[in-house]
Amino acid sequence: MKDVVPLVKARDEAIFGSKAVGLGEASREGLSLPPGVALSGSIVEAVASGEQRAIDKVMKAVRSLERPLAVRSSAVDEDGAQASFAGQHLTLLNVASDAGLTSALREIWWSANSDSAITYRQRVGLFTRPSVAVVIQSLLDPQVAGVMFTRNPISGVDERVIEASWGLGEAVVAGQVIPDHFRVSRSGDVLERTAGAKTIAIRTLPEGGTVEEKVAPELVERLCLDDDQLDELNRLADRCEEVYGPARDIEWAFRAGKLYLLQCRAVTRAGS
Amino acid sequence: MAGAPLEVLKRVPLLADLDRRELQQVAKLFKERSFPPGETVMKEGLGGAAFFVIESGEAIVSIGGNERRRLGPGDYFGEIALIDEGARTATVTAATELACYGLTLWEFGPVVRENGEIGWKLLQALAAKFRDVAQDA
Repeated sequence: MKDVVPLVKARDEAIFGSKAVGLGEASREGLSLPPGVALSGSIVEAVASGEQRAIDKVMKAVRSLERPLAVRSSAVDEDGAQASFAGQHLTLLNVASDAGLTSALREIWWSANSDSAITYRQRVGLFTRPSVAVVIQSLLDPQVAGVMFTRNPISGVDERVIEASWGLGEAVVAGQVIPDHFRVSRSGDVLERTAGAKTIAIRTLPEGGTVEEKVAPELVERLCLDDDQLDELNRLADRCEEVYGPARDIEWAFRAGKLYLLQCRAVTRAGS
Repeated sequence: MAGAPLEVLKRVPLLADLDRRELQQVAKLFKERSFPPGETVMKEGLGGAAFFVIESGEAIVSIGGNERRRLGPGDYFGEIALIDEGARTATVTAATELACYGLTLWEFGPVVRENGEIGWKLLQALAAKFRDVAQDA
């Protein structure tokens, strides 16, 4: 069994977790993703234990990836229909060095073995030893990023709901800004454009890690997506539903005019 | 060798009586974990996931918001919730940069069950804690 594979070859959820396999499927279907690799739970645990052979194997696999890197957990039972592990397992952005990557993998392993993660597992009836697979991808430094629901998660109406802000999408995901809010019909008509208050943008730092940058006053309430970009997002929603099925929760980013899929999972919140 | 360095574990009273081979077997199961100053390592009332030994740095143990004691290199914490699968009995906060090695609940139980010496030392440590509590009452 291979412990480290390019995302396009991640097929087995029991080994690489649902996030990695979902991205692998997207890659096989020709969707545009930042390049990356999938790590099995066993190699992540070996790296967390400090096993040099495992560390060397991971470093060799990521050598061709443009740095910095985004390192995300892909725990084998997370993002499932029964329970959402969102927020329990760590994501580390802008990992620049080999030492930083080893430390990031260790931190992610511990995040799934933390008191809060174990308490959560007990609460949702998943009191089993977690297997923490990981996805490592080149980190984009996007102009605009955010989330999109292919069906309205609150009302259940068949329309796209898009939330967007400047810089990395983590500002939207973590609720650090009031994002721009858009609703787009399946046929591509823009039903709503509401500007948010995007006071900060999360950017990468050259030495690793991220920083909250103040957004220029004239951009705070300016819409960060135009109609062409909304149209591209609508087409991405179509493709994701073709590949994965209806009611998807998508993370995306625009860099240098190109739209990238960062993550696609089933909607697990109210209204799904 | 992967896991915790033997010289770190030898300083831990709980593991001091293991022979070298036994200690090597246990050491392999530990994983490094560090905490910046001020970070909450464990929180009173939450479920317990791991037991830690301190390699370097200092930690503050508090109960109900009141500091009870400080821990340093060679000290360990977090075992009680793993023994009874109950909630954490105290909050532990990193007072300085804190370097630890941790053993998760998935390994802690089997290690204790397989090593009578560790089990006995644990009992002695728990008895000492019980006496402390009884004296404070």
